[in-house]
Amino acid sequence: MTWNKQTLIKMLMTAVSGAAVVGASLPARAAEPITLHALMEDVPETKIIEALLPEFEKQTGIKVEFEKIGYPDMHDKLVSQLTAPQSYYNVLEVDFLWAGEFPAAGWLADLKPFVEKSKYDLSPFIPSTLDLLGRTEDQLFLVPMYNYSMGLLYRKDLIGDEKLKAAYKTATGKELALPTTLEDYVAISKFMKANAGVAGAAMQGQRGDPNSMEFSNYLFSAGGSYLNADGKASLDTAEAKKALDLYVDNIQHGAQQGAVSATLDDTMRLMCSGSAFSMVTYWWMLPQMDDAVKCPTVAGKVGLSVMPGGHGESGGWGWGIPKNTSPEEQEAAWTFIQWVQSKDVSVKRALEGHAPVRSDVYADAAVLAKYPFYKTAQDVVATGKSFPIFTYSAQYEDLLGTQLSLAAGGQATSDAALKAASDGLQGLLDK
Amino acid sequence: MHNAIKKGWAARGREWRTGWAFALPGLLLLAIVMGFPLAYACILSISSMTLIKPQLLPLVGFKNFASMIGDELFWNALWLTVRYSAVTVVGEFVIGLGIALMLNRTVRMKPVYFAVLTIPMAMSPISVALIWRMLLQPNLGIANHLMEISGLPRLDWLGTPGMALWTMAAIDIWQQMSFVVLILAAGLAALPRDPYEAAEVDGARGWQQFLYITLPMLRPVAAITIIIQLINEFRTYDLPYVLTKGGPGNATEVLSFFAYRRAFLGLSLNEGAAAAFVLLLIVLLLTVIFFAVLERSQSGEGRK
Repeated sequence: MTWNKQTLIKMLMTAVSGAAVVGASLPARAAEPITLHALMEDVPETKIIEALLPEFEKQTGIKVEFEKIGYPDMHDKLVSQLTAPQSYYNVLEVDFLWAGEFPAAGWLADLKPFVEKSKYDLSPFIPSTLDLLGRTEDQLFLVPMYNYSMGLLYRKDLIGDEKLKAAYKTATGKELALPTTLEDYVAISKFMKANAGVAGAAMQGQRGDPNSMEFSNYLFSAGGSYLNADGKASLDTAEAKKALDLYVDNIQHGAQQGAVSATLDDTMRLMCSGSAFSMVTYWWMLPQMDDAVKCPTVAGKVGLSVMPGGHGESGGWGWGIPKNTSPEEQEAAWTFIQWVQSKDVSVKRALEGHAPVRSDVYADAAVLAKYPFYKTAQDVVATGKSFPIFTYSAQYEDLLGTQLSLAAGGQATSDAALKAASDGLQGLLDK
Repeated sequence: MHNAIKKGWAARGREWRTGWAFALPGLLLLAIVMGFPLAYACILSISSMTLIKPQLLPLVGFKNFASMIGDELFWNALWLTVRYSAVTVVGEFVIGLGIALMLNRTVRMKPVYFAVLTIPMAMSPISVALIWRMLLQPNLGIANHLMEISGLPRLDWLGTPGMALWTMAAIDIWQQMSFVVLILAAGLAALPRDPYEAAEVDGARGWQQFLYITLPMLRPVAAITIIIQLINEFRTYDLPYVLTKGGPGNATEVLSFFAYRRAFLGLSLNEGAAAAFVLLLIVLLLTVIFFAVLERSQSGEGRK
């Protein structure tokens, strides 16, 4: 092959004509209708919304596609898209634990201008659900999607069983009844494991989000907190020690085998199969357990209460729009958010088991008629307390989860684990 | 004469240009897909880049490396990685060699055995991890069911601190072994028959033939297999990610997972890159040492 002018000119012409062909195809692509892509946690709430999506598409012509994955994989997958020049996901489901990090990193579009332009009414939203997601006077990065306050799901048939009642009375001198303190709950859990042929508690002890969320319920119920009034880390307290000692006792002696490595999915399957007495979990799991097709063994036998001790972990998800998307995509995403959080759609979702963030949905007659336990759910939401929300919440969840896992596995004392967790929290707060 | 030299130089020049024309696209591609990420990771590791403040400057020198070396979790991860890699590579090699030797003697249905053996290798590590996670689920998994009907106690395979790493290693051996089998079987098939025939004439027994003929002749293939697997195992990430998330406690937090946590949970891309670089250096060092030892043993053998 000889390299001369003619060869070079031929190559150049080929390259130019190739580029022209590619370029000519671009306007046709731009004219295509917008499709919204969202990365969603694979939980009932997502499926409830997904079933309603054809209505939205029919009304607006905007197609919405959900990619469903487990919670542990969501953060990394979102971060890699949010740091890319253009995000594939153009509408976001954002956990409250990331509500400090994502705006601080500059990844989310401010929704305030969208609200003002469309005159969207935020007043029906329960204020705490907006606060949980970092709403300020000047900025709004997330619109509440649903709440996930945690409470106690328990087997009504087991707690009302006469033989078990008599055995419990003989063993402890107390009546077997719905526990009102953390100590009573752990005692009943251990009793059930020893006497009822089921795990006393289906626990999610895998390090990270599962055990951090679960432990938070124990902490709040024991009267402890992550931060003191001055905003400093406060985990090395007597209340926190009581909470962790009871947590470890329950995971070692009351919970199912393998609880230290279990996730939410594991606990759901266990409870659904009738192999557990109780489960500290999100209150909206109740309709799933009551589903006679999916969980025939326990349907109709499961009750909901506020976390024994009075306070559970409160959390929530919100809708956001990534900054690294086109204005057209952002407009389409905002149209979707308005629709999915409207009263009509929220009521439809609630009738399928949605955990509302709008007060008008909790008061809706049709919802209360179908789910009388929404009254208890409101108490669960009202008494819930939040995990500390700041830029490094996700890292703190991992750090705390590691210490809890060490304590649960007998590799660290509760004092050492709490000191490390408290120092770690302060270190991240100071970062 | 002068013209002949001129023609020779011209021909050589054309050859040189043609050679570069063929090699350049490949070299450019390599520079883009390998050189650039490596260089970028190197810069990241000495930068102040985090996901919250995505800026490379100011460069901080070896500060990220120093902070990592001062972290006891790093040493825990390194020690776990060394133990994990050693056990998996030895396990894969010993079992793989055994199977390869058996297959080498087998005549019938060889393709079927190879096809079956290739299945684990063809599966993605994530799928393998998910399948094993279900099989080992303590309450509903089949592993404990089989233990129970065999009269053995049920085990918490991935939740017991002393057991989780070795459960993960066993799964890894199960998947990676087929690669070792295939490479070693190919190596065995390529060995010349003459030394064996001579040994048989001399009355050498089977194990003597294996020890004094097969193993020495298989050494280059075995060495390559071991080094490839060692590099693979040092980089293990998928299994702890799906099976344990590094837990219980820090019992399965190997070096790759440590780097991932630093980068994506700690939001510190710079520290994650520093950890990844340390991993790269260790693997490079191991490779160099391994090849040096191999070369020395081969040249020593040549002198005999």
